[in-house]
Amino acid sequence: MTNVLIVASTLPKQPAVLIEALERFRSRGATVAVACFFDAAELEVDPALAELRGFVVPAAERDARFRAALGRAPANRKIWLHARRNPWVRRRYRQADLLVALDVRAVHTVWEMAQRNTRAGAHYGLVPAQKALDARRALPPTRRLERQVAATAGIGARGARRLAVQTAKTTLKKATGQTVMGNPAGAWLWTRAVSAPRIPDRYRSKLALRLHASAVRAGQPAVAARASAAAVRRIGSPKTRAQMLTKAAQAELALGRVPTGLHDAIRAQLELADSLLTKNPKQASFAVSNAWSLASNRVLHFDRLTSPMSADPGAFLAPFRASVAARKLSAPRGRVAPAATPPSGRPLRLLVTTLINHNFLQEILQRYESMPNVEVRFLDLYDDPVRRPLALSGSTVMEHLLTGETSYGAKIEEWLRPHLDWADTVFVDWCQATAALFTLHDPGTTRIIVRLHSFEAFNFWPHLVDYSRVDDMVFVSEHLRDLSTAVLPQLTGPDAPRLWVIDNAMDLQRYPRPKPAEARFNLGLVGVSSVAKDPRWAIEVVRKLRERDDRYTLTLIGSNFNNRTSLPAKKYGKQLAKDLAELEPIGAVRRYGQTDDVPAALSEVGVILSTSVRESFHCGLVEGAASGAVPVVRDWPFFADKPHGARTLFPADWVVATPEEAAERILAATATEEQWRQTGQSASDHVLKTWDWTVTQSGFDRLLLDD
Amino acid sequence: MNKRLVPLPRSRDHAGARPHVIYLAIGFPPAAKSCAYRMRETANQFCEQGWDVTVITICQEAWEREYGLDHTLSERVDPRVKVVELPLIREDLETDIRAFSEERSLDPPGWISALRKREQKVFPEPVFGGWRYELEKAVLRVHREHPADLLLTSCAPYVNLAATWKLWEEYQVPYAVDFRDGWSLDVIGGGEAFTRDSVSGRWESKVLDHATAVWCVNDPIADFYRQRYPQLADRVQVVRNGYDEDSLPAIAGRAADPSAGLTFGYLGSVNFTPAFLEAVLDGWRIARRDDPLLARSRFEVRGHIGAGAAREANRHMDLLKEAAADGVSFGGPVPKAELAATYGSWDALVLMLVGGRFVTSGKVYEFMATGLPVVSAHDVDHDASNVLAGHPLWTGAVGLDPHRLANSFAEAARMAVKATDADRAAARELARRFARPAVLAPAVRHLAELVRPAAAGASAPTATASTGDPRP
Repeated sequence: MTNVLIVASTLPKQPAVLIEALERFRSRGATVAVACFFDAAELEVDPALAELRGFVVPAAERDARFRAALGRAPANRKIWLHARRNPWVRRRYRQADLLVALDVRAVHTVWEMAQRNTRAGAHYGLVPAQKALDARRALPPTRRLERQVAATAGIGARGARRLAVQTAKTTLKKATGQTVMGNPAGAWLWTRAVSAPRIPDRYRSKLALRLHASAVRAGQPAVAARASAAAVRRIGSPKTRAQMLTKAAQAELALGRVPTGLHDAIRAQLELADSLLTKNPKQASFAVSNAWSLASNRVLHFDRLTSPMSADPGAFLAPFRASVAARKLSAPRGRVAPAATPPSGRPLRLLVTTLINHNFLQEILQRYESMPNVEVRFLDLYDDPVRRPLALSGSTVMEHLLTGETSYGAKIEEWLRPHLDWADTVFVDWCQATAALFTLHDPGTTRIIVRLHSFEAFNFWPHLVDYSRVDDMVFVSEHLRDLSTAVLPQLTGPDAPRLWVIDNAMDLQRYPRPKPAEARFNLGLVGVSSVAKDPRWAIEVVRKLRERDDRYTLTLIGSNFNNRTSLPAKKYGKQLAKDLAELEPIGAVRRYGQTDDVPAALSEVGVILSTSVRESFHCGLVEGAASGAVPVVRDWPFFADKPHGARTLFPADWVVATPEEAAERILAATATEEQWRQTGQSASDHVLKTWDWTVTQSGFDRLLLDD
Repeated sequence: MNKRLVPLPRSRDHAGARPHVIYLAIGFPPAAKSCAYRMRETANQFCEQGWDVTVITICQEAWEREYGLDHTLSERVDPRVKVVELPLIREDLETDIRAFSEERSLDPPGWISALRKREQKVFPEPVFGGWRYELEKAVLRVHREHPADLLLTSCAPYVNLAATWKLWEEYQVPYAVDFRDGWSLDVIGGGEAFTRDSVSGRWESKVLDHATAVWCVNDPIADFYRQRYPQLADRVQVVRNGYDEDSLPAIAGRAADPSAGLTFGYLGSVNFTPAFLEAVLDGWRIARRDDPLLARSRFEVRGHIGAGAAREANRHMDLLKEAAADGVSFGGPVPKAELAATYGSWDALVLMLVGGRFVTSGKVYEFMATGLPVVSAHDVDHDASNVLAGHPLWTGAVGLDPHRLANSFAEAARMAVKATDADRAAARELARRFARPAVLAPAVRHLAELVRPAAAGASAPTATASTGDPRP
């Protein structure tokens, strides 16, 4: 009687092949067992052919030691760790004359079984196993003994080695941990060690990364930077250098910090890109892409209350401006013919396009769709499930721009050319992927208009747009235009597109509604989901007010704070949750939640706040003001020291610098019901005659319809 | 030490000695590979023309791991041919887990990927690159033991080029390259497989530059090389594959039995994609649905499927098993000695081929010479179409649309029922120019003439005209 044990790590892809093999084994008189690292019931096999059993240890039965062993083990070894705990599997592999790995992940388990059953053959694949069965002959006793001794010694030696490696790893981990790196002597010692000569680059960079991470966790970023710098000076390969610095920077970003070596990492990637540009543009594009990934990381710009991009765009982007490869991404490639004048004998063909977000397009689409002299088409690149991945990869666009012709470029041409051929004018909302793709190829005589809202200015996408193929750039406020032109010098040259500032299209007429008297003491904030909205600033304001008069409350309108974007966002979210836990039960703060009827929500609000650190316009505030609430606007810190910002966008008396100032303005404006209603009415009148769509649409008409 | 020692004299310097060719032919019988037939005939032709032949190939165990062995193939190797088997073996195809290191067992794909990197550092060819030094040593050793007048190297594997170059560098032994499908040409996709300035490109360019002759299996491949290396244009020759007479069934006295249904057959490696096979099987199913004769008929697939641990355990096998209800069966490889009988048991053939204008394959010649109706399942613009043009029992190339293939199956069934001995004889006669001796004898003679002009007797006809090529 021959015993065969087949080990399968996953449900076989060719069950019919397995069943045929089982039939062959049976025809040769073998007894077969199949050990499954999955639910054996999923595999339908006649019990007469083989006994099937699963051997996954259920989660509830995994003790701490087993969990730790699983945590340390390489992926395929985990299967063996499960197998050896199963008595049925142990019995079967000890009895087996032939051990068979059905798939690649089961190989190690069979290998381990073969070390413990030296009599059995061990094969990978069913046909080799069948051949082995046919050719099976007994091993000579001396050879068998030899194999047994070697296997037993091997098991002992590997166990000892694993233990030694584990001990060494633990020791090294402790020796380079945050306690040691937080200690000046330890930090000094390791900084010297990591820069010792003749250490291979790969070990040096690994050690440096470990030291860097430990020092950062110990709250010693300067030590981390010194250790990295010491290692980098000794690393010969530009690629290894760039990778090491990038990983160090990424580790800090993951901890929510602005990396001390951010610019060093960006510069190293860009130097690598420049050196590869001619001989290997594809690799060069990866390096530029890495540099942009670092520079556009949301921790730097979106999940903190400041951004190095808005503080000093020139300094922040200096490495990109010095890099040949990075400059090539936005180099003007021009167009063969200028945009044609609007047609006279037929309606203007207007293509309005975006990627996913069309929140700011409804009024625009409605207006021009109803005009007989305009034919409108709308294109959301995300609506094409097959091609949408093409619009989601910045690195692929970079690769195309650096390498020249690529199949990616051909696919974009094939996708967008029919739209370009149809349209007289393309209005691209959001200066991101859509803008880059519509200018990847010469748009012919089609006029290209791109609107930049806000977040794009902090992102890499505007740097992949060919502005020599853009006729008009539209901004929603002057301070965004100022920031964008500082970030993108291409927007200010003699061949730059025309620049427009046109207010967002908002139908404000639906907001004015009667407010109950008690609304006077209710502050409102529309949009609280991100750090940029800084809802804790509003909480600070309501705290200040309640110190004087506990009738004041705060209503937060919109979806809850999203703390999943990064560690800083999580930290901010925790603090906000703490505030809410304190203030909600006493009725000082209320979460209104997400609503489709914002005018109704605003009817209960007496004072509307804008507490953001940056905004391009803040529609929520303006809608609140339209409803008759008293507007109180924080002087958005990103733009507070710039020529344009909240102070130039809104009437000066709306804008405050601190929560204290905000509280003072609110107390004054809500001192009496009459005063409150009068101030609110005056704000409502102002926004309706300044920003209602009936007023601002003339800006769009000039942009789209004038010759 | 300076490796450029005083070269040993080549045998041509010994007046009257038999010339000696070292034939680098990895895939030589008994390897059950399609290239084995061409290699066997080439070696036999050299013997026939008075040469001593030393074939260098790899050990038989290596073929066991891949497509297996067919000892009947060796039976017709000229006994004067000396075969040197090197202990080289594809480690990636090892299936004995006891031979695995712990590292390999933990991550077999990672281990193979590291192996590939190591191999390509030695020579820019995955899988075989690591054999370079052993091949170089073997070639030098054979030459030192028995000085060679010519080295003929058959690719793939292309690592043979390194050994070829080594012998040239050390002893200036003239060499020819039987490139078959070529290296820098992607015969399936139709473009350039690598650029001239890549590592592979530099190897190819360097070795071909000094080659006495470069053989290719069809005109499109030869044209590619003539354009890529204009200086080689007159050395690039078309030496087509062919068929072996002993593989052919008897023509006379065959009679299909429509009442019992027909048997269609495919013989060869199942080296196409599952989607390809699926298209053919779909065509077969449609044909059976629409044609009562085919509904009674069978379709036998014979040959190799998969290698190593995946042997006969892949998606192709699943598809064939699923098609069992439609009269489809898989019968494994056929030994060379049983080819004639196997063809003799079939009424029509299904020629499944990948690629396009650059691919001819070897089986097309054999299929043609059987005298049986042939259903073509390959691209319309395929070199096999050029070879089959004029075949009276060929259904024509219709591409891989299942409905059109179904029509071809029906057409072949009609041909099989109606074909006469005369029709089959006409088909075989058309194939006659592709009999292996007819193809290879002039090519070998021409090569011998190039290397030993004095000893070769009458001048050989031009290679192209002498190799059965249908084009003028």
